[in-house]
Amino acid sequence: MSASVDLEPILAVAGKLAAPFDLTTMLAEVVAAAKQVLKVERGTVWLYDREADELVLRFSEDVASMRIPAGTGIVGSCARTRQLINVRDCYADPRFDPTTDRRTGFRTRCMLTMPLVDHEDVLVGVMQVLNKADGVFEEKDERLGTVLAAQCAVALQRVRMTEALIASAKMRQELEMARIVQMGSLPASMPSVAGYDLYGTFEPADLTGGDTFDLAAVGQGVLVVLGDATGHGIAPALSVTQMQAMLRMAFRLGADLETAFVHANNQLAEFLPSDRFITAFIGLLDVAAHQLRFHSGGQGPILHYRAGEDRFDVYGPTSFPLAAMPLASLGPAITLALGPGDILALVSDGVFEYEDPNGEQFGEGRVYEVIREHRARPMAELTAGLFAAVKAFAAGAPQEDDMTVVMVKREAGVVRDFPRRFEEIDDIVAFTAGTFEALGIDPRLRTPVDLALEELFTNVVKYDEGGGAPVRIGLARTPDGVEATIIVDGVARFDPAEGPEVDVALPIERRRPGGLGLHLVRQFADSLEYDYDEARRRARIVFRKKGS
Amino acid sequence: MLAIDFGGEGVVVIAGRLDAAQSPVAQSFLDKVQGPITLDCSGLEYISSAGLGVLLKTQKRLMAANGKMRLAGVKGHLRDIFQYSGFDRIFEIENAK
Repeated sequence: MSASVDLEPILAVAGKLAAPFDLTTMLAEVVAAAKQVLKVERGTVWLYDREADELVLRFSEDVASMRIPAGTGIVGSCARTRQLINVRDCYADPRFDPTTDRRTGFRTRCMLTMPLVDHEDVLVGVMQVLNKADGVFEEKDERLGTVLAAQCAVALQRVRMTEALIASAKMRQELEMARIVQMGSLPASMPSVAGYDLYGTFEPADLTGGDTFDLAAVGQGVLVVLGDATGHGIAPALSVTQMQAMLRMAFRLGADLETAFVHANNQLAEFLPSDRFITAFIGLLDVAAHQLRFHSGGQGPILHYRAGEDRFDVYGPTSFPLAAMPLASLGPAITLALGPGDILALVSDGVFEYEDPNGEQFGEGRVYEVIREHRARPMAELTAGLFAAVKAFAAGAPQEDDMTVVMVKREAGVVRDFPRRFEEIDDIVAFTAGTFEALGIDPRLRTPVDLALEELFTNVVKYDEGGGAPVRIGLARTPDGVEATIIVDGVARFDPAEGPEVDVALPIERRRPGGLGLHLVRQFADSLEYDYDEARRRARIVFRKKGS
Repeated sequence: MLAIDFGGEGVVVIAGRLDAAQSPVAQSFLDKVQGPITLDCSGLEYISSAGLGVLLKTQKRLMAANGKMRLAGVKGHLRDIFQYSGFDRIFEIENAK
């Protein structure tokens, strides 16, 4: 470029175009710059619509919107060939269409038409300038025009990206609102039911997914729900929330399982679009009978880990997904009997179908493994373990769908805290009786367990009566008997297995009651385990007794 | 929880659970007893070391006054506990039929 005077406005344009314009402002700025730099009377910008393979007039001072096919006319052929076209005398050029001139009264003498091609060599549009002041477009104007067109193309691309970002941010915001509604309907806390560990959690995917769950104590028992609405975006998030609200309402009003299922289904079928449905597990847990009765609309596999046999029973759906069609009635429900240590695991397909970078799915087998591995842990930890396993498997692959898990575990063991008072012994006995009954522990083991708990508990009370942290007592059924655990904080190290021996052969005058309790505990125990945590001064004693 | 009372000539009947919470009740009752007696344990379901302490203290007191307590109707786990504790050597024990 010979004339340095021409460079200045170009640089000014470059600076202006870097500012974050919206499309209309940006195009006006480009045309104004072109008029100034190239000294022309008119300028227009056409954007390329790739899907239609057409050019759309987006900026003009005197012409309303217009579309022309790529390849047609001068603008069209510029887009097709991506070559600058310099027409010195329009009316002498057969490609020139004078219709617009006739409509506007403007007379086009000469025109320079330049392709707008971005950094990535993608055609974004065409810029056209008309009527060079005092003459025609020379080679110098072609060079200037090319530089200007390049600037314009980049600015256009940037504006389009910005607009796409704004649009997706808007969508994201709406989705976030839907998510807030969806999350807000989840139970704030897990119902606390003696002898059960109930846990549900929901790990939302970034953008999509329509999972929900519910765990709530209702009159009929504990309501257990896991739902997954089809589709992506806001609608499924809201429709599962509706379903969840309907079910809660129905059960709170005393509906039975079938009525609630059918009514929720029919309501949803009425107002959800026909291509939408919700797979849902809906169950009621009877904590006294240890039975869980359920219907599953298209939701599965439903996993029942049976602790006694160390195996899984797997169930499929009992009915169609909710909202798929109106239902007049339902087939029979399934009733599961939950034994001590049994787990009902409801897992949404976001877990099963989570793909690693090679496209392999996490699958059912891995879910079984994790449940078996963590089956003795609290259900919150088991679930965390499951999600950790999924993430490890995914090796960085993104989460495409919501992951939701509901765990219902009948405790193999029960834990309770007792203050350090002798009078608590009555409560401990009642607790033991209730727990033996609830867990189905061999009743013949009651006396040794009562004795062990009493002796160990009274030892702690003697040590610090009325003071200190409560004594935690746990009872669990083991495959061959029972396990009683005592945990107490803030005590000195004292291993009951190493307490002084009692000489039971002494004559009565020399017998003393001291030490007799621990002596009896040692006699009855099949194993007596002790560990001590220095930091918390915590003693943990495990007494085990086998059935005969 | 625990019931203890006289049951005829020289007989004390004890029933229920003789644990650390109940042993003061049993102790104060047995402290009033004199002479040779039979403790009818057929209704006694449970005894812990605290209960054994009550029996031991009572036996020592009675023997010092030429008295004695014998245990009758002993069954199940009580038998094990008396054996493990060596109380079968310091009490005359009559098992339940």
